[in-house]
Amino acid sequence: MFVLSFLARRLLQGFVIIFLVMFLIFTLLRVVPGDPVRLMAGGMAPEALIEQIATQMGLRDPILVQFGRYAAHVVQGDFGQSFVRPADGAATGGAAFNDASRSERAEVLTLVAQTAPRTFQLALTAILMALLISLPLGVAGGLYPGRWPDRLALYLGSIFVSLPNFWLGIVLILLLSVKLAWLPAIGYQGFAWTILPAFVLAIEMAPFMIRTLTVSVAQVMQEYFIAAGPVRGLSRSRVVLRHGLKNASVPLLNLLGVQFSMLLGGVLVVEYIFDYPGLGLLTINAVLQRDFPLIQGIAIITSAAFVLINIAVDLLATTIDPRLDY
Amino acid sequence: MVDRRDFLKGAALGGAMFGLPRLNPDFLINSAFAAENKPIVFQSAENITGNWDPTAHTTLSQKNIEGFCMGFLARAPMRPEKPDEIVMELATDIQVLDPHKIQFKLRQGITFHDGQPFTAADVKATFEYGSLPDRPAQWYPGNNTTFDVTTPDDFTVIVDTTKGGYGSSLFVFLAAFLPIMSAKDVAGGPNGPLSQRLNGTGPFKFVAQQGNTTVLEAFPGYFKGAPKVPGVQVQFVGDATTRLLSLLNGQASIIERLEPEQVETAKQNANVKISSLVSVENKYLWFRCSKPPFNDPRLRLAACHAIDRSQVLEILGDAGHGSNNFISPIKFGYSDLPNYPAYDPEKCQALLKEAGFPNGQGLPPLEYITSTGFYPKTKEYGELITAMLQEQGFPVTLNVMEVAAWNERLYDRPGGGPGHMIDCGWSTGSPEPDLIIRTHFHSSSKRICGIVDPEIDAVLDKERGAGSLEERKQVLQTETLPTIASKMPALSLFTSVLIHAMRKELDGLFINPAGDMDASKATDA
Repeated sequence: MFVLSFLARRLLQGFVIIFLVMFLIFTLLRVVPGDPVRLMAGGMAPEALIEQIATQMGLRDPILVQFGRYAAHVVQGDFGQSFVRPADGAATGGAAFNDASRSERAEVLTLVAQTAPRTFQLALTAILMALLISLPLGVAGGLYPGRWPDRLALYLGSIFVSLPNFWLGIVLILLLSVKLAWLPAIGYQGFAWTILPAFVLAIEMAPFMIRTLTVSVAQVMQEYFIAAGPVRGLSRSRVVLRHGLKNASVPLLNLLGVQFSMLLGGVLVVEYIFDYPGLGLLTINAVLQRDFPLIQGIAIITSAAFVLINIAVDLLATTIDPRLDY
Repeated sequence: MVDRRDFLKGAALGGAMFGLPRLNPDFLINSAFAAENKPIVFQSAENITGNWDPTAHTTLSQKNIEGFCMGFLARAPMRPEKPDEIVMELATDIQVLDPHKIQFKLRQGITFHDGQPFTAADVKATFEYGSLPDRPAQWYPGNNTTFDVTTPDDFTVIVDTTKGGYGSSLFVFLAAFLPIMSAKDVAGGPNGPLSQRLNGTGPFKFVAQQGNTTVLEAFPGYFKGAPKVPGVQVQFVGDATTRLLSLLNGQASIIERLEPEQVETAKQNANVKISSLVSVENKYLWFRCSKPPFNDPRLRLAACHAIDRSQVLEILGDAGHGSNNFISPIKFGYSDLPNYPAYDPEKCQALLKEAGFPNGQGLPPLEYITSTGFYPKTKEYGELITAMLQEQGFPVTLNVMEVAAWNERLYDRPGGGPGHMIDCGWSTGSPEPDLIIRTHFHSSSKRICGIVDPEIDAVLDKERGAGSLEERKQVLQTETLPTIASKMPALSLFTSVLIHAMRKELDGLFINPAGDMDASKATDA
């Protein structure tokens, strides 16, 4: 019963959040400069035609009317069609206003479905790499507060957090791809193309994980039940692994949930530098082309993913620590 | 009863099953560095339109793709030493029969990629369809009602421009620019096969559009012999740094539109070579001539005299080439115009005073719009030009925009386009000057500057109506272009230099100054 009531309550809250995100994105997009109809129709299109197309598309109706119409479609799973991208998904531009022969526009859901798995793969790889970096450093730092492992964790975390991701991306491409030819870097033709961008993201995330782990492990190790471990005859490793780390993992789990959700939302700069065809690159192009339906679709779908991941994280946290009440 | 542990186990299992097919299982197999006989990977700075009909767009990147796939009656190499050279391709001979008649003799034994034989019917269909008034790319000197196309036999085409009253010689340079479509495709109309894929007689055959990559494969039946490389992939990569890195690590074979400082980086790499060509593109400062204050030609001239173009060229470095005309030095009819306005502050002040704005006093605030991210150094030289105009008293503010917002404001509108001046280049892959000067300065088109001037119209009509190429060149150089220079609806700042960087192994590639390439003899091993 706990699971069902928990799910019902959190899904309801999530629905409200998604609705608010949808409304905000929809409204903000319509007040920023740049008329999407002008971009769709081409610069040479006469004003009368611009108005005609805009009226036909309902873009001159009051924003609330437009939003109501859009929301009604979204609840039926229809996120609309991209303003500019054809069905083959290519980034396009430059078509003229009176071009009746433009090929069919791509469905927003199709575009998201084509790119999201790659971003999912990138996010998952980045999280795993970040964990590989953070776990030894963070745990050691927490187990030996004030001593060299703690200082190493602090110094490395400080260095990692100071490296801008666009700079690190370019340097790693030059070193590992151009000079040493160990890894491919630009575009996507297989998993190998995920490694470098994932590593850049992992370096970006690692300082937060290291710090969270260091503080959390250090705190847990001060608890009475840890001190009581050796008295009960438990070995040091058993105390650390079975009791210390398990209890220290809840803050990390929450952090992972947030980080993973943010990664799924599209890692704009990293995907742009690596020309990685995920949600981030799709979002950048959509913004540059004022492709409203696509921007809205990506925002709503990623906010839904954010909500669902956080529900899952909370559920997992209550499993680890049943005292938690969400 | 489901407890939370069972629920989580089930959810994790379901999630893993859902995610498994989405992960690419090839990750341990694929290599980024395949070795021999690989297709040419060309990374383009501009995206395509999503409609393959060659008459539906004026987009340079898509024209470049057409250059690989489509056949042309002739090609124009457009080298500075011989700007009006024409090399026959699908035609074997082009002859101006009289001032209003031009004849094309066609090559025999050529087939389209879909197997259809190439005949005069294809040329007739291409000309008649491409000149329809509703086709977005208006390259022709007049629409389909202004000329007749006859085909005395399967390999002869005669174009008669008597109805339009303009010279038939205008079709000479267009022959080197207009891709020839199949009559069968044309019969399908604008929503037929033309818009779905390219079907030409060129060395590479269109295979598919995969996301941002256009995949082309070698056409074994190409009449000059099958290409040596197995194919060409044209990829849209918007970021210049990403393109350069991709070339340096060997993923790209050739990249375009390098920033001047990137040229130095590329030159230092032993595996990379550079191609620099004076291009067909001039960069302009367009005045909005249909609204005050630049509806007064004296103010336009005053602004031109305020700008020291040699300083602009210094900023551009390798990416700019000095020119004193509205057309590139590799276009038909180019000459350094004697009355092209040079930097002269005294003349500027005299013209400002004559126009009623001594030292710029009384001028309204002026907006100069430019873009960043597409053309090299626009922001940098935009700041320089703004400072030079301000020095002479023009109350100018520079507005630097990202490409989409700039593009939205680019063209003329009723009452004048946005702002008072806007930066833009114009590039057409033919020596034909009318594709620029008529497009922009004739009152029937006036795309950006919005100028309506009967004197300019008259000199443009006069050169268009010339009976021979020699006569036309003379009218262009002595009347048309000097008249435009006396009114300056736009200041051509410089001619762009087309810079490509490519892998050392890529040989035999011929790059045209418009950016399209002949890769039929290229090797990349």
